[in-house]
Amino acid sequence: MVTTDDTRSTTTAMEPAARWCREALVQGWISVAAWMTFGLLLEGLLGYKTPSYLLDDTRRELFRLAHAHGTLLGLILLAAAFSRQLFKLAPPRAAWISLRTGAAVMPIGFLLAGIWHYESDPGLGIWLVPPAALLVIFGAVAFAFAARGGNREGN
Amino acid sequence: MNLVVDSDYQRSQFYQAYLLSVVREKQILLTTSLSLTGGALLLVASIVLLARPEYQGTRAGFADENYLKSGDCRSCHADHYASWARTFHSRMTQEATPANVQGDFTRNNSFEYLGVKARMEKRADGFFMILNLPDGNIQTAKIDRIVGSRRIEQYLTKQPNQYTRLPLAYDLVNHRWMSLNGSFFYPDGDNYFQHVAQWDSNCVFCHNVKAQPHLDFGNKKFATEVSELGIACGVCHGPGAAHAESALSPLTRTAWHLQPGEDKQIVDPLKLSSERSLMICGHYHGQRIPEPMDRIQSILSQGDPFNAGDDLAQFYRPIDRDSHIGPVAFASRFWPNGSPRLTAYEYQGILRSKCFRNGETGKRINCLTCHIMHGGDPRGQITDENRTDQPCLACHRQFGQTKALVAHTGHAAASAGSRCYNCHMPRVVYGIMAFHPTHDITVPAPQLTANSGVPNACNQCHLDRSVNWAITEARRIWPEQFAQAQLSPDDQFNLPEGPRALFAGDALTRALAADLMSGNGPTKPDPGWASPFLVEAFADKYPIVRFFAANGLTRPGVPWKGDKPDYLAAPEVRETMLRRWRDLTTVCPANVREQATSWSLKFQKPRRETDLEVGE
Repeated sequence: MVTTDDTRSTTTAMEPAARWCREALVQGWISVAAWMTFGLLLEGLLGYKTPSYLLDDTRRELFRLAHAHGTLLGLILLAAAFSRQLFKLAPPRAAWISLRTGAAVMPIGFLLAGIWHYESDPGLGIWLVPPAALLVIFGAVAFAFAARGGNREGN
Repeated sequence: MNLVVDSDYQRSQFYQAYLLSVVREKQILLTTSLSLTGGALLLVASIVLLARPEYQGTRAGFADENYLKSGDCRSCHADHYASWARTFHSRMTQEATPANVQGDFTRNNSFEYLGVKARMEKRADGFFMILNLPDGNIQTAKIDRIVGSRRIEQYLTKQPNQYTRLPLAYDLVNHRWMSLNGSFFYPDGDNYFQHVAQWDSNCVFCHNVKAQPHLDFGNKKFATEVSELGIACGVCHGPGAAHAESALSPLTRTAWHLQPGEDKQIVDPLKLSSERSLMICGHYHGQRIPEPMDRIQSILSQGDPFNAGDDLAQFYRPIDRDSHIGPVAFASRFWPNGSPRLTAYEYQGILRSKCFRNGETGKRINCLTCHIMHGGDPRGQITDENRTDQPCLACHRQFGQTKALVAHTGHAAASAGSRCYNCHMPRVVYGIMAFHPTHDITVPAPQLTANSGVPNACNQCHLDRSVNWAITEARRIWPEQFAQAQLSPDDQFNLPEGPRALFAGDALTRALAADLMSGNGPTKPDPGWASPFLVEAFADKYPIVRFFAANGLTRPGVPWKGDKPDYLAAPEVRETMLRRWRDLTTVCPANVREQATSWSLKFQKPRRETDLEVGE
């Protein structure tokens, strides 16, 4: 009985976690698709020697960073979702939220900073990047602890 | 029952304990994660702050204290660095490295002048100038630095006590070696080393950032330092250490971006009053003497005290026609009316201009009205638009209308006579193998040519008309302004002004006339008319006059083919060339050739010569 009740209560408690996992999965795939598309755009700008991209070193660097971080963080979201499924991790909700927020905001920060920027200085959008980075770091650390310690489903 | 109650109680206790442990575990996890994130942030911040560069206090105690080098500015101002790097300013003075030296040290690398055979060599350990003197002696000088990168490349050799400018330079336009005597206004003479000069007390001040000769007066030894070779960021923006130090903080930079008017602890010439902005350029483009004169001691020992944004008059006085240092007078560097006749006096020219004098304080015309330091054509640091009437029309808007323009100029709207520069900034200033527009913006005054020998704008186009004709026309077109202008009773001013000036003026006037007759002025005279005069001008005893004459004889479009006569060749070689060119131009009208011969002889004797060097 205890086991049955425990299982019931645990299942009920994990339902939101499963939802967060699904949402991270969706966001991860969308992120990969969107930022890969952006990468394709950069290839096109490079291929057609577009001066506003090619001759603007600051913009070029920031766009590259946006593309790289957007894609990579999308993959990290997918990894988070799969690791939850595979290893039954149960990181706190804050970890999911921070990871997802950071993964969304950081590349957008780079992108905005590259679109409107100053001479050799990124635009104001760059200020989105450090807090987003901290969110991602926090999420990653929380996931690491969940994987290392007791925060697993069914514990 | 008890058991059941007991069991329920225990179960409840168990659940509570379980939930508490889960909550505690989550709290621990959250706290640990947050702590580690904070730790990571602290680690990153510490590394960034430890790794940040320090600028304040560089060169403390020297004249260039807190000055940065252009490389320091590059990391933040990549665009400005790039637009500066493409200018001739950036390559004004350079170390003599294979990447910098443009002179031909390998193929056309010999040059003979005044009996000295020079050979220029590129060796494994550098560049050398070897002089075989007529007495058999051989002098070898290693070239350590070069000055100039656009028209001529001059060479400096490092000696124990100073850097010395060598007697030969490389003409970057005509791709040949030359004696510096060929660029100044001196006759051929016999002193091969006449223009060997000391760099440390002279050139260094206008071709580098913050010159500090460190002269030991007792031993007469220089230990010259500069903040940076060439004309770099510090010249216009002053010491940049405080600015760079502040700019290291992204918060400060963001504040600067959001509030562009905020003090950035750096000089921006565009934000200074027009007078102070002008002084920055005037410090380099306005030959000057220390004020008071005994300040020269501290300048030669400690260095140039002026920084961008300072009041130049606190330290220096611009040289004018009446200036002199002991027995050295400067009158020959100015036309008789006081207008500069050499480059590096643009500051004096602007100060004389009505556009400057009548302007509103703080908003007067200055160099940046027309010139641009980070854009445009590096040749002149000017945009294509500013080569037109546009800068003048910014104030004199009424002449943007064709009718008003034609009424003002008395010339067709599209003609050279309706271009502002041609009349108000005629090319009467010499600098480094070329003539340039004066920066003394004036109203044309043909009577000045007759009265005092100042070339006039009208006859820069109308070379085949006399000065008296120009005066008559000026009185007809602008009766009010020229009501007092009198025709000259001197018959020479009834002759075409181009050829008259070519033979009757002093060396600079003759060189200017040769340049105009060669078609480098606002209009291009018929070569059939101009060439016989240029041939006779090639007989001039001043190499610089011959230089311009030779260019005119072989300019594109002349109807004959002849080798360009060498203006620095030995006298007997030049005589042969002259005869050949007289033969070539026999196709020109006979009366013109006769005029050329007779006028050249007629004016040669009575003319007064004024010898002068440039920039010294």
